[in-house]
Amino acid sequence: MFGFLKKVGDYTRDAVGAANYLTQGLAVTFDHLRRRPITVQYPYEKLIPSERYRGRIHYEFDKCIACEVCVRVCPINLPVVDWVMNKATKKKELRNYSIDFGVCIFCGNCVEYCPTNCLSMTEEYELAAFDRHSLNFDNIALGRLPTSVTSDPAVVPLRELVYLPKGVLDPHDVPDTAPRVGKLPEQVLESLPSGDAS
Amino acid sequence: MLTTTAPGLDLEASFEQALQGFGLSPAAAHLLWLPLPMVLVLVAAVVGVLVNVWLERKISAAVQQRIGPEYAGALGVLQPMADGLKLVFKEDIIPARADGLLFTLGPVLVLIPVILSWLVVPFGQHLLISNVGIGIFLWISLSSIQPIGLLMSGYASNNKYSLLGGLRAAAQSISYEIPLALAVLAVVMMSNSLSTVDIVNQQTGAGILSWNIWRQPVGFVIFWICALAECERLPFDLPEAEEELVAGYQTEYSGMKFALFYLGSYINLVLSALLVSVLYLGGWGFPIPVEWLASWLHQPIDAPLVQLITGSVGIVMTVLKAYLLVFLAILLRWTTPRVRIDQLLDLGWKFLLPIALVNLLITAALKLAFPAVFGG
Repeated sequence: MFGFLKKVGDYTRDAVGAANYLTQGLAVTFDHLRRRPITVQYPYEKLIPSERYRGRIHYEFDKCIACEVCVRVCPINLPVVDWVMNKATKKKELRNYSIDFGVCIFCGNCVEYCPTNCLSMTEEYELAAFDRHSLNFDNIALGRLPTSVTSDPAVVPLRELVYLPKGVLDPHDVPDTAPRVGKLPEQVLESLPSGDAS
Repeated sequence: MLTTTAPGLDLEASFEQALQGFGLSPAAAHLLWLPLPMVLVLVAAVVGVLVNVWLERKISAAVQQRIGPEYAGALGVLQPMADGLKLVFKEDIIPARADGLLFTLGPVLVLIPVILSWLVVPFGQHLLISNVGIGIFLWISLSSIQPIGLLMSGYASNNKYSLLGGLRAAAQSISYEIPLALAVLAVVMMSNSLSTVDIVNQQTGAGILSWNIWRQPVGFVIFWICALAECERLPFDLPEAEEELVAGYQTEYSGMKFALFYLGSYINLVLSALLVSVLYLGGWGFPIPVEWLASWLHQPIDAPLVQLITGSVGIVMTVLKAYLLVFLAILLRWTTPRVRIDQLLDLGWKFLLPIALVNLLITAALKLAFPAVFGG
């Protein structure tokens, strides 16, 4: 008799518990209705990449000394440095340079180690192509100036989350003059005691 | 109980009177009247589906902090229309190894009972196609035709996913029909009638306080769960579970045949929500009885203008209650994970069925003990 009653009690408790969990879940989803979307309407609006963004690599042919450091630090030895030894001047003569961005992982090691700073990271990230071979950039393509979100008249540039004022989540309708949250690097430097800044 | 002549807007009588004024015989006048409510309800059902699809997409988007359809019309209101048009123009494919006849008949058999059930949905005292004496029973029996269509289309598709989906749909519909019918039975017992109009009239005494939800809270929950299962809404959408069965019995369908399934499922959702509002939320009743409001404002309840206003309020209230329930269904869709098939059948047979039986017995006992409150 008591066993049966206990079973009924347990069953009821389970059912009430399930109903309770369900209402908790509904409260969560209902609460989410309050939160506004912060959608960036992509082709018309774009986020400004951060200053340390690792996009397509830019390369300056004239600065390159063909030392091949970029090849050695690359995880997959990706950059192709095509040079010949000029016997007369006893110097390397660079002929071609290329990086295949279909294979590149954008780790930035080549940029980090380039002794003459001829490699640099850009904020260009729209590399989609119909043919993967067209992602193999030669020194001409690598030397092109990167496209910029801010200079494109057809695009509304929007600030990323960390560049917005404190407490603001939606990048729309934030005035350009509104300062970002936290200190800028130069402000951090100023606040340091002198001599420590090196 | 069929011949209750409660005061109310009776468009049918006035229309036929007007036609008879032009010299038509009563039979001819009736014949001219007949197609009007049918077409109106069909249009209302389809518009209801369009609104429902739009709401579903917008509310789903809001719950997930997206924007949802935006470009087709203001706020994307024309998006469901665009989707429907696309389906109309799509090629109608019957798979080579499928059974053509059954394959075509399936979606039709799914849609027709659902549309036919709108026969008994009242938007006011006289604002329904036909006040059938066995109204709510008609709906239950019609809705049991649907699994035949689902099974038919699943079987005729000659596809393993379709077959599994069809079988699941049939099992689910049959299991949840029983607690659904028992929950309805408790309401029917309280109002001494199967007619939807009588069921609403029995809830009109004291406005919101006389709604069945206070007397039948358990029945309300059972009915709503079963209605969701019958509509194959998300916690119970096993027959078309896309992660497991591609699209269940709909897998092989495209074009207008798929549109029939799509339309059928959404009409069914709106219909279920309407019936919940009829059975448990006082149908067309305003939270405060309109008769009280009229007497407070010293207006005669039979005046034409007051009749017009009460009629409109009735329609608005019915639709409002139904769409509140649709909102709840959409919210539930993004809250609850899908149940497994064994959990689904466990819930139906081992939980809802006994509870519905106990609810029925308790209602019967309460009816004997307090005939004034639980319908003598």
